[in-house]
Amino acid sequence: MTAFNGNTTKTGSAALATPVLSLGRRYWRDRLMLGLLASSTILVLVPLFIVIAYVVVQGIGALNWDFFTQELGSPTRAHTGQPTGLVHTIIGTLVVDSMALIIAVPLGIGAGVMLAEYPDHRLNPLLRLLNDTLNGMPAILKGMLAFALIVKPMGTFSGLAGAVALTFVMLPIIARATESALDIIPWSIREAGLALGLPRWRVILSTIIPAAKVGLVTGILIAFARAAGEAAPLLFTSFGNNYLPSRWTGWLFGPVDTLPQRLYSLAISPYKQWHEMGWAAGIVLLVMVILLFITARVTVRRA
Amino acid sequence: MNQQHQPRRSFLKTKLVAAAAATLIFLGLGAGSALAQRTDILGAGATFPAPLVTAMADEYRTKTGGRVTVNYQSIGSGGGIRQFIEQTVMFGMSEAFLSDQIMADIEQRTGGAAFNLPITLADVVPTYNLPGVKKGLVFDGDLLVDLFLGKIKRWNDPRIAELNPGLRLPPLPVTIVHRSDGSGTTNVWTSYLTRVSDEWAKKVGYATSVNWPTGVGGNGNEGVAGVVMNTPGALGYNSLSYAILSDISYGYVVNAAGNTIEPSYAATTAAADIDLPADTRVLFTNTPAPDGYPAAGFAWMLVYQNLDQNRAIANRAQAEELLKFLIWAIRDGQELSESLGFARLPQAAIDLNFEMIRQITWQDEKLGEKVLREMQR
Repeated sequence: MTAFNGNTTKTGSAALATPVLSLGRRYWRDRLMLGLLASSTILVLVPLFIVIAYVVVQGIGALNWDFFTQELGSPTRAHTGQPTGLVHTIIGTLVVDSMALIIAVPLGIGAGVMLAEYPDHRLNPLLRLLNDTLNGMPAILKGMLAFALIVKPMGTFSGLAGAVALTFVMLPIIARATESALDIIPWSIREAGLALGLPRWRVILSTIIPAAKVGLVTGILIAFARAAGEAAPLLFTSFGNNYLPSRWTGWLFGPVDTLPQRLYSLAISPYKQWHEMGWAAGIVLLVMVILLFITARVTVRRA
Repeated sequence: MNQQHQPRRSFLKTKLVAAAAATLIFLGLGAGSALAQRTDILGAGATFPAPLVTAMADEYRTKTGGRVTVNYQSIGSGGGIRQFIEQTVMFGMSEAFLSDQIMADIEQRTGGAAFNLPITLADVVPTYNLPGVKKGLVFDGDLLVDLFLGKIKRWNDPRIAELNPGLRLPPLPVTIVHRSDGSGTTNVWTSYLTRVSDEWAKKVGYATSVNWPTGVGGNGNEGVAGVVMNTPGALGYNSLSYAILSDISYGYVVNAAGNTIEPSYAATTAAADIDLPADTRVLFTNTPAPDGYPAAGFAWMLVYQNLDQNRAIANRAQAEELLKFLIWAIRDGQELSESLGFARLPQAAIDLNFEMIRQITWQDEKLGEKVLREMQR
């Protein structure tokens, strides 16, 4: 096998297939392999569907108009049937997650471009090491980092601190995904751009990144999905709120409720009604992530 | 036709965008001016008083017409003390008072005291599952200690029968159920057992979580209640409101004065009817009060004496609104207690609270005194 070089691979694979099989046996072997692949796909998907179905069954009863329009308030509201809901939590999740995306996407893509397009840069080994370390760091530590960097100096928990904590979750994933998406773009495209006399940054911006667009979006989506489900980094950064903030600046500079963290606190509460609301919060979070996936996919395909 | 159509559409689009932007700006400005007086107050800590404090927050918000929002997050007593020290919350909440060490540190750092303001009372009752026995089984301190030490193994033990004459007790083995998580309820319960028994004090002591000599753990009030309800012969401890809510049998306890006390909000309030120290940092489990229930304690709100030294409080207006809420919660907010399963503060504690609030300052201004005077008018 080692004797084969690029030009003779074709002959090599033909040689490998030499044992003569009847058409019928080939056909059955093909069917068997397809069946195995299909069943492993199903095996992977089954837990996902069980989780989704279970969450929906448990939480659907709590999904009503109030759930999307009312604030949580005290558990007495749920006990006595007064209106209670998670409007502030849903908005808070959107605010904190999009803030995190706004910070993480340019930085993460920047780091990925640096790693892929300037492979000989002196800072790259360090950057790669730091990136991998950040990726492997437990999420709760990222929350503590944001606590030390933002909460302590500002003197209060804030949506901004939560967004920064989630940025730490997203950054290494986006950087890694960007690097691998750019790596598979053939060097001939870069050479073509450079041959036209374009400066290197222009080549990256106008030819490489558009060509790698789908890969970049996938990386951002994976990072977002990962961050959207994290409760640990938010516990001591965005902290939680039982109400809407009384001014819009409160979303940035005051404590903000988010779905994963509220889901956690509803789940550990001793109230049955709150448990159900926790499941419902799970449904909303799932739907939000799925909707974002679909929107992003459709937009990328169209553009 | 097509050429004419195109610009019109884009014109419409611009108009729409402009309208949306204008609406947003208008909303922003409108909200900005109308809500200029609005204040958000942030507190965090103990889980046990959370239903009361959040209900107070709901009520206070309605009362102030939405002007003051109190956001209370229940993160546990330990977390409440921690965040209070870190100065990320305007008030903390704890079922254990601040230690001398913490008090001294804060005094040194802020030039003023840390005040422990009792806001409500915690009461812990023995809960059990004995087929054929309803609530009202009588215990005394020594009996409870020996049960929780694992010394008394069966329910038909003569020492239990002695306190409950005429009751036929089944020969079931005793299964002790305790909290597996750190808990103010455990703190109150073990401090009671510590107060009545030197042996317990030496072997186990009291804390929010201890090394239990025997028994199985349950997570949270509901965890303990769950195990008790599913295990005939189980004996656990729960806060009174939880025992009542989940309709679980609970016992009466003989107090230090020798009276058999049926747990009730009145008996809990009576337990605090002792000579309280000026800073209210006191455990009154095994209370000497003749009508007091012996396994009860305060839950405290924690505030800095010099409010300006708490970095979580941005300005004088916030400090003033915080004080108003504290005073309201201590005085008017107590009305909510019984309906939610909490005991009212005794008058002595309310008076001491006001005494402490009088000493609260904002940049050397006696803000506590001023707000209290305004609210008493």
